Amino acid sequence: MRTAVDLKLGEKAIIKDVDNSHYSSHRVLEIGFTPGQEIELVSKSVFNDPIALSIRGTIIAIRRNEASCIMI
Amino acid sequence: MNTSALNKIPLITLVGQPNSGKTTLFNYLSGKNYKTVNYPGSTVEYSISKILSKFSVNANILDSPGIISLIPSSPDEKLSVDTLFSHPKFGTPDIVAVTVDASQLSRHLFLVKQLIEANFKVIVVLTMPDILHKKGLEISDNKLGNILNCKVVRINGLTGKGIDDLLKAIDEAVNELNSENISSLINKPENSHKHHLLDLYSSIEKIESEVIFKKENINSNGKIDLQKINENLVILNSPRFPNKPDEFTLRLDRFVLHKYSGLLIFFLVMSITFTSIFWLASPVMDLVNEFFSFLSDNAVSILGDGWFGDLVSNGIISGLGSVLVFLPQILILFLILGLLEDSGYLARGAMLIDKPLSKIGLNGKSFVPLLSGFACAIPAIMATRTIANKRERFLTIFLIPLMSCSARLPVYALLIAFLIPSDKPWLGGLILTAIYIFSITSSVIIAAIINKFQNKLIQEKDNSSFILELPAYRKPKLTTVLNNTIKSAKQYVKKAGPVILYLSLILWVLTYFPNYDPVNIDESGKTAEEITQLKDAERISSSYASYLGKFIEPVMSPIGLDWRVGVSLVATFAAREVFVSSLALIFKITDDEDDLQNSILNAMREAKIEGTDKKLFTIATTTGLIIFFVFALQCLSTVAIAKKETGGWRIPILQLVIFTFAAYALSFITVNGLRALGIN
Repeated sequence: MRTAVDLKLGEKAIIKDVDNSHYSSHRVLEIGFTPGQEIELVSKSVFNDPIALSIRGTIIAIRRNEASCIMI
Repeated sequence: MNTSALNKIPLITLVGQPNSGKTTLFNYLSGKNYKTVNYPGSTVEYSISKILSKFSVNANILDSPGIISLIPSSPDEKLSVDTLFSHPKFGTPDIVAVTVDASQLSRHLFLVKQLIEANFKVIVVLTMPDILHKKGLEISDNKLGNILNCKVVRINGLTGKGIDDLLKAIDEAVNELNSENISSLINKPENSHKHHLLDLYSSIEKIESEVIFKKENINSNGKIDLQKINENLVILNSPRFPNKPDEFTLRLDRFVLHKYSGLLIFFLVMSITFTSIFWLASPVMDLVNEFFSFLSDNAVSILGDGWFGDLVSNGIISGLGSVLVFLPQILILFLILGLLEDSGYLARGAMLIDKPLSKIGLNGKSFVPLLSGFACAIPAIMATRTIANKRERFLTIFLIPLMSCSARLPVYALLIAFLIPSDKPWLGGLILTAIYIFSITSSVIIAAIINKFQNKLIQEKDNSSFILELPAYRKPKLTTVLNNTIKSAKQYVKKAGPVILYLSLILWVLTYFPNYDPVNIDESGKTAEEITQLKDAERISSSYASYLGKFIEPVMSPIGLDWRVGVSLVATFAAREVFVSSLALIFKITDDEDDLQNSILNAMREAKIEGTDKKLFTIATTTGLIIFFVFALQCLSTVAIAKKETGGWRIPILQLVIFTFAAYALSFITVNGLRALGIN
């Protein structure tokens, strides 16, 4: 299954699910990454990690490791 | 503050997500009359204030650290949440005012819903309506209030418009309070499951779709055109009507986070920050220095040059001076950091540096504290509180003393001046830069070593996390930034001040007694001033400090130094920059025609290791001294703050032992290595 990490720059996707087993999944949900929401990879850091995702009208910087629990 | 008096007037706690405009609101309501209070036994800080007297509402208002959810993810957040429910000193809030960024309603309503579910009496404060308007959207406060069944007011943080509405709402809410014990009604949410979170969000999305509409639905009279709304009512985030982030921010981020221009901007911002810390502050620091030496001179001429006059001038006044001399740098540093934070850049800087820092066991959020460490370790250590992961936070605190703080500058300046030929001053700048690069490289290596070591010691799962909102770029709000700058500076003076002052007094006793009035001085043919200086020198060479110095001489000789430098090094534990003045004292500088630095330099060139005719200061020993200063933790205020912030002696003692040992060992290697190479 694809995750938010697999997005290309500028690519949009709808969140399908959030992987419960990841230690950051709770925080990821609380911050607003819930199934049905549209995300977009808006930018990447200089070293490609963390990445910046747009969600619910704002931009969240998140490490690739943690973004991998967002299924698209 | 009197607890019983506080209990009589209602307590309003301000709650909000990070970047929701909470601090701005607090500043509007409290003016400058706040007090900063610590949660007992911790570092989480709260500001409390009575609502400004010009607003006729009698209530206390408590600011609290920004939180994302009532279910905490880190120890610090847990403390913030616990405190919200029941502050040990102020109890349970009668009213909770939540700041909600109207332009990202759904994310921020999350906290509101949790607070309402917990049975708090909630007032929703909608902030940033201008940003919502920029997105072409509008929100209906009334409708939101009806759905949530709580008061909703709208504030413009830039103009303060809406404060009166908020006060009216607070006033009404206060009047509605009955004598019932609120705390019995409040229930803390359990660690909720995924489905609960999802339910919460779907109810929020429903609310959002009902209260937010396109701006063109407002007709020419400013009234909402209901028919048009019904025509245009669409669920947010449907492809036709997405809640997109600020367009300008997205465009700017393409440069700020870009592979090449991003790095360039990052280094540019860093250089400007450093340059301002050093160059803008130095004339002000000179003024502070001059002011205190003026005071000190006057104290001597008023109180006489007996022990009491000396205590006041060299003990108390100089001690105060050494606290306040760093204030300009700290003010400038916090001002710049505040501006960077408020404009939105700081979060991007942290994001850019997260990857390299995570390689050595740190976090992008370590970036600001480490940066502050170049001005002064004390505010830097206080700034580590934003790092959620305890391990990363402790490692950051551990490394901060290695950042070359400003107190080391005068020492480097003197030692470099000794090393370089006077006709090549440009070499000095080069060496100084090299020292900075050396100290940064060394701290990276040390961090990597400790990180490896820690991994072996603590086999705990590494739940390191970096999730940070990149707020929309905006013009920094100067009053808020200035307010926070002054707050931080006050904290520095309050926390570091007493320690530095006491230590200066102890040092004064050690260098002044027991031979406080030397008699056997050859006074023939000398001016009064020269006699005083000779007395000073005689006093110190027979003082307790010199006994101490002679006691540690066996330790000093392997690195090519003798007891006199030893005493100066002991003195530097009060404050590093004391090194220069104590060298001046110990080397009996009497020459007044030259400036101080040149006199010391001449004395250093003449100095021989006692009892021999070997030169004391050579290229080898001076380089060794520089290396010593790069590593040694000679700052008891840092030790005190590190103890306070880590909640124990383990980290500060480890720092003291490891850094002092490293300083000594590397200095030993440098001196003897250089000598082996024939450089003396």
